[in-house]
Amino acid sequence: MRATMVGRAVSTGAAAILAVALRCVAPAPLGAQGGAARDSAVQALNRLAWGPRPGEADRVAAAGVMVWIEHQLSPERIPDDALRARERAFTILRLDVDDLARRFVAARRDQQARRRDDTTATEAPPGRGTEAAALRRLGAETQQLAVVRAVLSERQLYEVLVDFWTNHFNVFYAKGADRYLLPAHIEETIRPNALGRFEDLLIATARSPAMLFYLDNAQSVASGARPPIPPRAVRGLTAEQRDMVAQRMPRGLNENYARELLELHTLGVDGGYTQDDIVNVARILTGWGIERPGQGAAFAFREWAHDRGEKVVLGERFPPGQGMDEGIRLLRMLARHPATMHHLSRKLCARLVADEPPDGCVDAAVAAWRASDGDVRAVVRAIVRTPDFWAPAARRAKVKSPLEFVVSAVRATGAVPDSSLRLARLVGRLGQPLYLQSAPTGWPEAQADWVNAGALLARMNAAVALAAGRLPGAAADLEAVLPNAVDHARFVDLVNERLLAGSMTDRTRAVILDQLRDVTDPAQARALAVGLAIGGPEFQRQ
Amino acid sequence: MKSGGIGLFSLGLDPLFLARAVYGAVGPRPLAAASEHPILVCLFQRGAVDGLSMVVPHGDATYYRERPRIAVPRSEVIDLDGHFGLHPRLAPLKPLWDAGALAVVHAVGSPDSTRSHFDAQDYMETGTPGVKATADGWANRYCTSAREHDATPFRAVAFGPQLPRLLAGSAPSLAIDDLQAFGLQVRQPAARDKLTAAFEALYEGAATGLLAPSAAEGFAAIEMLKRTDPARYAPADGAEYPAGRLGRSLLQVAQIIKAGVGLEIAFADVTGWDTHVNQGGSQGSLAARLDELGRALAAFNRDLGERMRNVVVLTMSEFGRTVRENGNAGTDHGHATAMLVLGGPVRGGKVLGRWPGLDPAARFEGRDLAVTTDFRDLFGELLVRHLGAPDLRPVFPGREADPARFPGVLGA
Repeated sequence: MRATMVGRAVSTGAAAILAVALRCVAPAPLGAQGGAARDSAVQALNRLAWGPRPGEADRVAAAGVMVWIEHQLSPERIPDDALRARERAFTILRLDVDDLARRFVAARRDQQARRRDDTTATEAPPGRGTEAAALRRLGAETQQLAVVRAVLSERQLYEVLVDFWTNHFNVFYAKGADRYLLPAHIEETIRPNALGRFEDLLIATARSPAMLFYLDNAQSVASGARPPIPPRAVRGLTAEQRDMVAQRMPRGLNENYARELLELHTLGVDGGYTQDDIVNVARILTGWGIERPGQGAAFAFREWAHDRGEKVVLGERFPPGQGMDEGIRLLRMLARHPATMHHLSRKLCARLVADEPPDGCVDAAVAAWRASDGDVRAVVRAIVRTPDFWAPAARRAKVKSPLEFVVSAVRATGAVPDSSLRLARLVGRLGQPLYLQSAPTGWPEAQADWVNAGALLARMNAAVALAAGRLPGAAADLEAVLPNAVDHARFVDLVNERLLAGSMTDRTRAVILDQLRDVTDPAQARALAVGLAIGGPEFQRQ
Repeated sequence: MKSGGIGLFSLGLDPLFLARAVYGAVGPRPLAAASEHPILVCLFQRGAVDGLSMVVPHGDATYYRERPRIAVPRSEVIDLDGHFGLHPRLAPLKPLWDAGALAVVHAVGSPDSTRSHFDAQDYMETGTPGVKATADGWANRYCTSAREHDATPFRAVAFGPQLPRLLAGSAPSLAIDDLQAFGLQVRQPAARDKLTAAFEALYEGAATGLLAPSAAEGFAAIEMLKRTDPARYAPADGAEYPAGRLGRSLLQVAQIIKAGVGLEIAFADVTGWDTHVNQGGSQGSLAARLDELGRALAAFNRDLGERMRNVVVLTMSEFGRTVRENGNAGTDHGHATAMLVLGGPVRGGKVLGRWPGLDPAARFEGRDLAVTTDFRDLFGELLVRHLGAPDLRPVFPGREADPARFPGVLGA
């Protein structure tokens, strides 16, 4: 498998990339016909953004879809004032990791005290539970912030990639210290690197305290290494108690992060590594740990925990005594490995093109990866310049995740998230509680993982609520998007055009018209038609 | 395999869809021998229950030595066999033990050494300890591999807002948070029926992929539920479920079983077992949780009555807790725990599994109760001998199915 990949990569040089680019820029998106240009705009807004807002497909088509994409590829040049203003309402963005750690400890104490209250059956003193509730609210804010950014940001492609990398480098919010470490993982590790070089992003995640804790690398120490126990920690303790303190110190190698680094973050499960490679990667990364909370909980390299012996990974020799540098060397090597290029290119194509992406776009992405040394911007550009991205087979080929469904519905109806935290809760109820995927695989990408009977019914209910103005967390002015029409048929045409971008099937049209038959009140008709359109099968696809 | 997948994809179909369509194509139909289906009910005690105080080794002096503040006093333990006894708050289960319908498997757990809740829960639900990349659950793989079952949306149902990993995968499974609210939430019945019919018509028209068959499963479920009228359910024989989530879940399981809609595997969570602080002995926080568990299980057993002859309830938990109490009069994350198996088919009245003892030399990593029964052997026994699984290989890949290792909860 690896041999064929390398072979393929060798045959594609820079000239080939150029040829592919020249061949592909011209066709579908720049077609002269308005319909084709609009269809391409819809495809771009569905995959490179969180779904079109009212009228947006026409605007993108008029400006030229490739122009819009280039614009989106330089998010730093796109003003995002409305979102910036909105972000100011989020307390979580003003708290640093020490603040959060303090609150975490307070919340824990609070909870423990509450348990004591329960067991002694006394009345809980006033204020009990407030610290825990405050921490829960901050957690909910973190989730809501992700939804609000996806809905409101003008830097749509950037927010799509933030979501992609957040998921690729998944951290489980509810695992112990990650309750206070995760926000910085998003703000300082993922977001600054989402459209940069993969290598920088990979190194940032390897140093991310949230990741070091989540995948236990902070506990991984060279076998036989013992931490220096500060005398004050054991002063006045009995020998037995000293034993217990020593026993609680981390001991031995933990392979958890090393395995996921190779299997999920870089090479991929078929990336050609062995169990020995995993052990050696774990040895190289011993010592990569975290400062205590209260002292910044920042990344720290612990010399005492580091394995100073020689290691060999994928045939590469790492000579003894290189300390933290060998970890950086390893991560660079992994970021540039052909298996990584292929694994990541395919995963990006699965997100942007199709669950089972055609070879053409994957090959183009790999070639761009190689030529640009893993510049995510160049890789995305290469993908959207392949015919695969624009092919009829790729249109509406993907089922929306719950987050994509909620965000695109809010955007399509021109709704504005209110100051409550309920939109994120809705995403959770639909099956994707943000940052709460416990498995390091992150959320799945394929339709089979999102489509089940209960989930679809929940989406229908959410659609009906949104259409009736009852969606918790977002207020929509549907009349502004869908003004009254002379008759139901015209009105359904409008729904098709504005909400479904023309994808409404004859069957859906007939069903909606049939439902509207006896409805005379225009507001009621609007609610019914919008509920059925957004809860119906066309809107589940993108 | 790979090329086949790509070929199908170009037609807008993928192999998984084809597998799903087989289930989804069949609408609701009365299940002739519904009452004869064997049923497995799984309760997950999330947070790691202290098996040593749930089923107390009161004959082992080490238990009392290591837990000066939180041991359940020997005088209060409900003795089972002279060595083990139930926590006093599990008294409602004693009649089941006496009737031979309750078995305990002790020192059961995972071969993986993790003490992380989330890793250990994942491993117990995927059935592949140590392998994190497994996306689907063992119960779902069982449903996929054993297709000799009536097509029904209710074959595998989790009671809660989300589908647990245990039931996730390519075979259809439902997550039902509230049986009465399952379906479209429109207050007026006539309007609700009209809207339901409209959505059903919309999704029948979805040509490719999983949308149409999945929606069909949902609408079939709604239709079947309508006939059972969950709003009017009254437990039989004066059974009283305790207030709270567990009681509500088990009541709904009983409803679905009695509705005869083809349930085979039910799942519910029971939380609150992570007793790091002030765990208590015969009274206290653990006792309160066990009280609810005992009463809920007894109510379920009473409510189902005769129907229990073909129903097995299994409790599971990701790991056990330390033998020695900690500085906060609680217990920390340990290794092996105890699981309860009850129901008509159970050959109970026995504490099964090899008891490794609490001697420090016999403990796992010198501190925790060692695992002598791999949880897959207990789950596997129930799948084979109760549900009739033809082959455990796809269900627990990497674990050779060997009936000699089954703990024997259903007899040999």
